[in-house]
Amino acid sequence: MKETDIQLMFCGSAGDGTIAVGDIFKRAMAKAGYKVIAFDIYPPEIRGFGKCISRVRVTSRQAYSLKQESDLLVSLNDSYAIPHVPEVRDFGSVIYDNAPITSMAEGEHISGHLLPGQLPYGLRIREISDQTTGGSKSKNIVALGYLAGLLGIKQEPFHQIIGDKFRHKGSAISESNLLAFDTAYAEGASTFRLDFIELGAPERQEIGSKVQMMTGNAAVVRGCLDAGLDCFFGYPITPATSIMERLATELPRRGGRLLQTEDEISAIAATIGAGYAGVRAATATSGPGLALMVEMLGLGVIGEVPAVIFCSQRGGPSTGMPTKTEQSDLHLAVYGGAGDAQRIVLAPTNVEGAYRCAGKAFEMAEKYQTPVIVLLDLYLSNRYETVLLPRQNPFEADSVKHRSNVERGVPYKRFAFTDDSVSPRTIPGEEGGIHVITGLEHNELGRPNDQSDMHTRMSEKRHKKLLAALDHPGITIHKRFGDQGRVDVGILGWGSTVGEILEAMLMAQAEGISCSVMKVVMLSPLPNEPIRSFFDDCAEVLIPELNYEGQFANLVASAVSKPFTRLNRVPGVPMQVADILEQIRRLAGRAKSSNAA
Amino acid sequence: MGNLRQPVYLEEKLKQVRESGRLDIRSKALPTWCPGCGYFSIVDGVAMAINKLQISQKDVTIVSGIGCASRFPFFLDTYGFHTLHGRTLPVATGIKVANDRLTVLAVGGDGDAFAIGGAHIPHAARRNVDITYLVFDNGIYGLTKGQTSPTSVLGFTTSTSPYKNQDQPLNPLLMMLSYGTSWVGQSYAGDPRHLSEMITQAMAHRGFSYLHILSPCVTFDKTSRTYINLKAQVRWLPDDHDSSDKMAAMKYAMDTDNPPIGLFYKESRPTLADNLDLVIESARGRGARATV
Repeated sequence: MKETDIQLMFCGSAGDGTIAVGDIFKRAMAKAGYKVIAFDIYPPEIRGFGKCISRVRVTSRQAYSLKQESDLLVSLNDSYAIPHVPEVRDFGSVIYDNAPITSMAEGEHISGHLLPGQLPYGLRIREISDQTTGGSKSKNIVALGYLAGLLGIKQEPFHQIIGDKFRHKGSAISESNLLAFDTAYAEGASTFRLDFIELGAPERQEIGSKVQMMTGNAAVVRGCLDAGLDCFFGYPITPATSIMERLATELPRRGGRLLQTEDEISAIAATIGAGYAGVRAATATSGPGLALMVEMLGLGVIGEVPAVIFCSQRGGPSTGMPTKTEQSDLHLAVYGGAGDAQRIVLAPTNVEGAYRCAGKAFEMAEKYQTPVIVLLDLYLSNRYETVLLPRQNPFEADSVKHRSNVERGVPYKRFAFTDDSVSPRTIPGEEGGIHVITGLEHNELGRPNDQSDMHTRMSEKRHKKLLAALDHPGITIHKRFGDQGRVDVGILGWGSTVGEILEAMLMAQAEGISCSVMKVVMLSPLPNEPIRSFFDDCAEVLIPELNYEGQFANLVASAVSKPFTRLNRVPGVPMQVADILEQIRRLAGRAKSSNAA
Repeated sequence: MGNLRQPVYLEEKLKQVRESGRLDIRSKALPTWCPGCGYFSIVDGVAMAINKLQISQKDVTIVSGIGCASRFPFFLDTYGFHTLHGRTLPVATGIKVANDRLTVLAVGGDGDAFAIGGAHIPHAARRNVDITYLVFDNGIYGLTKGQTSPTSVLGFTTSTSPYKNQDQPLNPLLMMLSYGTSWVGQSYAGDPRHLSEMITQAMAHRGFSYLHILSPCVTFDKTSRTYINLKAQVRWLPDDHDSSDKMAAMKYAMDTDNPPIGLFYKESRPTLADNLDLVIESARGRGARATV
């Protein structure tokens, strides 16, 4: 059976329905049984004329990332789409409106910018929109209809999705849009076929499996709900807001409580308060919010209170680039705050991972009595993937109460030294377990104590207990892909960039380069030993990440004493696969020559 | 206050205190405050209130911030959380959202409340979180050894205002009334009986109750808010004050020369927990309709 792998790019101005049409397309393709990965780029302004791009890659098997080059570009606004024409591959195609509303100066029409080898499809987009809906607002739907007709995709899933999308606007609008789609579909189907861009049949769905298309943030919400989240506190901030918005609808349906607090400090404070009271609580923010939260995070560490903090990174520092992606809050997440305040930091690499990490974060926070930060980024938060969620809830229920160990008539040792450094714990309301938690250094009873021996022992306790998290069941802490054993080039990655890294690895392998990828999901505590053995296997190691300093590379440098190569980029968009591939080739050459020597 | 003139015999008093059971509510930890500090009577007042209201100690959680006042939770045998400077109310809110059955007290000083923690107060008040907030106002930063606070009087001289405080002091009661606090009262550390009665009333109130407690700092303030000055200044709210009349309450709150003590204002309205329950109800209602 023919493998499917095509990527489409819709480009237009805010208000053209660019993101909306990309959304309909990817939902329809997922419904048709294909695997999808998609990511939109849009300006920070709600109104205005910023550029919007929606990229959708459709495959038979789940892809790791978007492709560098698209097979098809749909222009809804020529001046915005022109710079993206070179991103269309040879024998790929560009679809645009052949009837501009006013006469254009030479060079403003996209047709003049197509490269040799690209197939132009100037189509009657505005005209059909006018005919069928009485206006130009449905140009995006017309373009979609053409596209579906050209590619010969079945109409049914599109009908369903368009119907759903316009239902709330009334039947007249819904029907006229369906008419616009069908008219354009018929015209597209009768136009000269795109032979170079072909779809295979979709994969058969596994019986009973739950294939769904969702964003990273939606996956976080599913993970929270499946892990039995009780309380959520948050303050709106891009790109984390949609976590709170979804939970605002979903959480009360399950009897949970959500509070929009007055600021991020209050959000984390209430999360810590609720964790202290014995329920599963979380908050979600981005870098600027996490910066406000780190003081309270320190209280969670010394008070040994469970809490889960989702941080979706954007471009920084300060307000930075709110609608752009970056991986530059790693240092803040791992080190932020006063004193030695070790915490657990998890960074999922894809949408399914976001689900797993979200749910497991609650288990870990409770088991090791500590704040857990789940580090996402705008790219992972907002990108869509088709994911296969487990049918059985993979997360353990609340386990706090099983460890209280209350003895009658004896003051409760909330911070007792134990073999695994995790103390018994009671929660307010529990008989015999009365204690006070404090941000001051304290003894086993929780009473303030600043003796040097006590501070040493307590510091050791707080550090040691986290090491067990490196073997926490049911979650991938690190994983190796590609060639096993000794290789010329090893690529170490974290977070969403692992997708581009894996794509680059596959391309390098196809070129005959021996290479391997290791992704690290737990960034604190860092799995030092597995990273060291990975270094032992690799002649050269490359660490690509989306920040200027090489923040993950800095963490790795503290764990290994071998040299490696950094690849740091801050474009505000996902890293280019070609960029990584180029470095792999260069390092492979170096490894070869040193082998020869 | 006529009974104060009757002779009090130590032996009888001790017997009476022991039998009341309120000593069981005190912890074994010795308070870290200076001898003569007004806060001793507040610890006792809270112990008496818990005792009087017959609340089980295990169901009480006392949340504090940072400062002399915030050492409070250590001196009572209840659950406690000594948190960060200024973050008492959001932590207390989180505890209450997690478990509404707990009796939650938030305590802190004037700096903790009105300087660093000022932004949280209106939100706890407008949400009507069912907690009792006790602010021990001594008009000075005591734990850092005597600096100017947001309630220090004009002209007050401290290590950080050696040329006299020029910043207009805040009026906490007026703030709390305008924020929509559903129970507002004032007492002072020099009258333990009144104090304990007011704490009891505040704790019995369903909703966000705020008790402003004027208290001397015997170590770092020898001139402004002393026992002698406070005793001369405070007066009782008139008997005919209508505690449902917010305008009248505000008028009394503006009398800073002779701070009135007593219940300023009280109203009954749904708490945060009530409202969150409504959210759950309507979410479930909508969910149920959607599945039909």
